[in-house]
Amino acid sequence: MLSLDFLDDVRRMNKRQLYYQVLNFGMIVSSALMIWKGLMVITGSESPIVVVLSGSMEPAFHRGDLLFLTNRVEDPIRVGEIVVFRIEGREIPIVHRVLKIHEKQNGHIKFLTKGDNNAVDDRGLYKQGQHWLEKKDVVGRARGFYQENSSVEDRNYLFLILEL
Amino acid sequence: MAAELHRAGEAVVWEAIVGLAVVPTAGQAVAVVKWKTDDKPVKIDKWDGSAVKNSLDDSGKKKYVENFGLIDGRLTICTIACFFAILALLWDCMHPFPESKPVLALCVISYFVMMGILTIYTSYKEKSICLMAHRKDPTGMDPDNIWQLSSGLKRFDDKYTLKPTFISGRTKQQREAKFTKSIAKFFDHSGTLVLDAYEPEISRLHDSLAIEK
Repeated sequence: MLSLDFLDDVRRMNKRQLYYQVLNFGMIVSSALMIWKGLMVITGSESPIVVVLSGSMEPAFHRGDLLFLTNRVEDPIRVGEIVVFRIEGREIPIVHRVLKIHEKQNGHIKFLTKGDNNAVDDRGLYKQGQHWLEKKDVVGRARGFYQENSSVEDRNYLFLILEL
Repeated sequence: MAAELHRAGEAVVWEAIVGLAVVPTAGQAVAVVKWKTDDKPVKIDKWDGSAVKNSLDDSGKKKYVENFGLIDGRLTICTIACFFAILALLWDCMHPFPESKPVLALCVISYFVMMGILTIYTSYKEKSICLMAHRKDPTGMDPDNIWQLSSGLKRFDDKYTLKPTFISGRTKQQREAKFTKSIAKFFDHSGTLVLDAYEPEISRLHDSLAIEK
């Protein structure tokens, strides 16, 4: 026999209380969503927090580290900075360092990247026939990071590097 | 099954309906379930503070014709906030970032403004009022009398406070009465709300306010 005793609490609620419970749940989800969108607006980046997926930036970043990004128009990209970019046609962003930059008078930039731990630059990763990356491929520049199992000295060293 | 029948006198009818409706036919059991629990005695976890308060509040409300103005206000604010969130989500899907930046900024700010409004509303306007009811004046000439019910149950405390307030529509005067009792007086050891102990208290308060018209 079907016993719905555990649903008694729900059955005792009238329509308004049920709707309020649904709204409550909706508001929890909405709060998380709004915080994420708010971060997107503030940093200007479409993905303000990313996770490092490969070991190509060791010893600076290890797999599993969190990176905080900004993508403001006023900040120009300079050689030596760590950028997160997306290659056309690929979903997953890559975290590498900028190696060379060609800059025009009007501010248009072409740049080349390389992972610290890689032997060669990223031309092999780019699209067929593409030799340089442009501003539109950039998701953001690393401004801060979070590492789970690092010692205090390592963290201070890395903060210095990122000029926080 | 027998224990349930023994404990809840009024529930015999309900149990019988469900029992009769379960007819095993060719290996299938069809159960017709009655959704409303009006005749079933209220049983909750007696250690769960919010469940206790809710069940006491709900039983106290049964006498009155409820006016939903306050609750509707709160529901409206929450609905508007969720609407902004959904708008932001859909707009961002249709117009990818960064073109959607101004709309997103607007939605985020509006959402948090609505949250602020909601907090202010619950703290000041609603306070602890859980019921607003209108008792229509029988002569039809004077404006409605308003009954307000306010209740409180502190966390991890067992003292439940019920405070009905009577606002006369005619003279705009406010009268209130309250009682504070331990919830142990209204629930038996298994968590069932004993209406026989609770209802006289409510009626007593209600009458004491109603008499002095």
